[in-house]
Amino acid sequence: MVMPTGVPNRTVVDSRGSACPGPITDLSMAYRRSRAGDVIEVWATDPGFREDVKAWATKTGNQLVSVEEGPEKIVAVLRILRR
Amino acid sequence: MTRVLLIGGGSGATMLSHKLQRRHLKVTMLTASMEHLFQPALLYVAFAQSSADVTRDERQLVARGINLIEETVTGVNLIDREVTGGSGKTYPYDSLVVATGVGTDPAQIPGLLETTARYGDYHSTIAQARKLGNALSNFRGGTIALGQSTPICKCPPSPVEGVLLADRLLRRRGLRDKTRIIFFTPYPRAYPAAPMNDIIEPILKDRGIEVVTMFDVDRVDPQGQTIFSIEGERIDYDLPIIIPPFMGAAIDYRPSEVLDQSRFVKADKASLKIIGFEDAFAIGDANNLPTSKAGVGAHLEANVVARQLRGKSASFNGRTNCPVDLGDGRGTFVIGSYTSPVRRYPPSRINLLMKMIMERIYWVSLRGALEPVFSIYFMLTDPDRISRRRPPKRS
Repeated sequence: MVMPTGVPNRTVVDSRGSACPGPITDLSMAYRRSRAGDVIEVWATDPGFREDVKAWATKTGNQLVSVEEGPEKIVAVLRILRR
Repeated sequence: MTRVLLIGGGSGATMLSHKLQRRHLKVTMLTASMEHLFQPALLYVAFAQSSADVTRDERQLVARGINLIEETVTGVNLIDREVTGGSGKTYPYDSLVVATGVGTDPAQIPGLLETTARYGDYHSTIAQARKLGNALSNFRGGTIALGQSTPICKCPPSPVEGVLLADRLLRRRGLRDKTRIIFFTPYPRAYPAAPMNDIIEPILKDRGIEVVTMFDVDRVDPQGQTIFSIEGERIDYDLPIIIPPFMGAAIDYRPSEVLDQSRFVKADKASLKIIGFEDAFAIGDANNLPTSKAGVGAHLEANVVARQLRGKSASFNGRTNCPVDLGDGRGTFVIGSYTSPVRRYPPSRINLLMKMIMERIYWVSLRGALEPVFSIYFMLTDPDRISRRRPPKRS
């Protein structure tokens, strides 16, 4: 589920509860619709997402600004550098 | 009497019609085509030249007493509670169930429409699947590049099944030594769910299939025979088998905010009610639930909506149950739910047999006659129940 936050070029992707194929699907879809300079924030509950988002950022050449695991969700913030 | 309107003519709407035979419900079903397609069979039409039982007449499948009308829905007005058809007729309702599925949309990716028009694909129509079967028959060696173009894929195991069945086909024809098979995927691994990937990836490696991960298709150059990714990589091919992007049905909704960017209808993941509406539901591939787009979803979601329309409480738990043909006489299943991540499900011949049985009984299962058997099966394989016995090691 992608929700524009009202702030230009920043998108929150709410993937909580998504396990298969998983939040990386929602991130990839948001990436397809992004431009260089955009920020994508992903919320996930799938524990595998923590490693996936690191691998995704490395492979795609985008910046993983932060990834934090809270009691209810994992929040990853990415800055899109390559589009 | 409550007027229930079902839109769609696939497994979700058909199964639901059989669960709504109640005196207080007046059910009308609008389907764009009277030809009901068993979609999983397209895999075998393309990769095994199967001519099995792929379509049947919807009039023979739907429940008796249902007012079945051939009508392509063009508009859904959730505010005024009415649906408009291509014929210009309007259909008022008290309760609505959207079960319009998804379609492929190769035009979204430059060069893909031309490519699939030439080589076919195995997610659109029987004609497209036959075209791909012919392309494989005419193939004499070279590079086959197979994968999904975008991250959302109807039937998530189908890309892996396609590449494994292509490998089997080429081995049988003695062409495998002359063929390089490249499997590309937008995910970080060959199968998106890591526990299943632990099973799938060694099999791909064993069959000599090259895997290119995080390859989101940006464009295809049909003349240069190259696929380019958003990530900046390229794959050259002799035979491209590219799964097109998927989009929800081309229907104008009021309010339009109930659709997401892929035209999937936004629905509550438990109640399946369209967000903001108490009298409208979306089931199966048509909705935007965070679970696999597969027949089992349509089946179980139809059960949940039927209970609610009969005045009972029910909620969907996100259950998936996707069988995978590994192309070597074995099968596995991808089973999970909202609360239980997918686990390893070891391959076996029994699993493949179960997949084949499920496909053989499809037409009967639409009528609900086998529901008690399915109830037992779903209970025994309930991932939440299994999770309580064995906590997962990783997701």
